[in-house]
Amino acid sequence: MIAIQHEDVDIGNLISAAKSAGTGAVVVFDGVVRDDNIREMELEAYEEVALRELEKIAGDATRLHNLLHVDIIHRIGRLSVSENILIIVVSAGHRPDAYAGSRYIIEEIKKGVPIWKKELTKDGGRWVPGEHAHGAGKNS
Amino acid sequence: MTVKVRFFARFRELLGTDIITEPGNGTVLANLVRDIAQKNKEGYDAIFDEQGSFREFVIVMRNGKRVEIADAGKTAVVDGDEIAVFPPVAGG
Repeated sequence: MIAIQHEDVDIGNLISAAKSAGTGAVVVFDGVVRDDNIREMELEAYEEVALRELEKIAGDATRLHNLLHVDIIHRIGRLSVSENILIIVVSAGHRPDAYAGSRYIIEEIKKGVPIWKKELTKDGGRWVPGEHAHGAGKNS
Repeated sequence: MTVKVRFFARFRELLGTDIITEPGNGTVLANLVRDIAQKNKEGYDAIFDEQGSFREFVIVMRNGKRVEIADAGKTAVVDGDEIAVFPPVAGG
C-alpha cells in the first residue's frame, strides 16, 4: 500500500499483511508529531507528484534491498502531537535487508518527495525547513 | 491558451494556488511566474532575487517534471500546462 491520505492506519494490520512464507523480518518505521512546543502540525503535499515519487522509492527499495513487501503511508492535513505522520512497513527474508530497505525509504523521502510540514504554535506557525537544500530530486 | 500555476507551502500562503492564467503564445515559464508573483511583494521576494531570477532553492515543475531554474527563462509554456513552484521539501 502506497498512499498519501488524511486517515491514520492500523499498523498491526499492515504488519500482518507484510508477512509471507519467505519473510524472516518485518521493520516498521513510525514517524510521529513531536512536541516541540507546538499545538499541531499541518502537512501539505503535491499529491500527484508525491505519490508517484513514493511508488518509485518503493520500487527502488524493493530491488536494491530484496524486499518482499513495502507499505508507505504519508499522512497530510492537521495532526496532533504523537499522531502518526509516516508509516513505513517493509519485510524481507533477513533483517539486514529489512533494516536497510526501511532506512533507504525514509532517507529518499526526506530528499525529494514534495511534502511540507508547518508547525502550528500558540504564536502562529513556522514551516519546517527541508533537510536537503534542493529537494524534489532532478529525476522527478 | 490556459496554463495552471500551483504554489505550495509558504509560497501558497503568500500567493494562492491553482491560478488559471491565459498567457500569450511564447510566454516563458519564468515570466509567467514572475507576473503572478508580483501581486504580492513578500511572495515575489520569497521566490525571486534582486535580479528577478528564481532563488537558488526554488523548485519549479512543469507537468510534474522538474525544470532547472536556469532553463525557466527559455522554456515556453503551452496550452494545458501545469506549473508548480515550491520551496525545499520537508516530508517524512
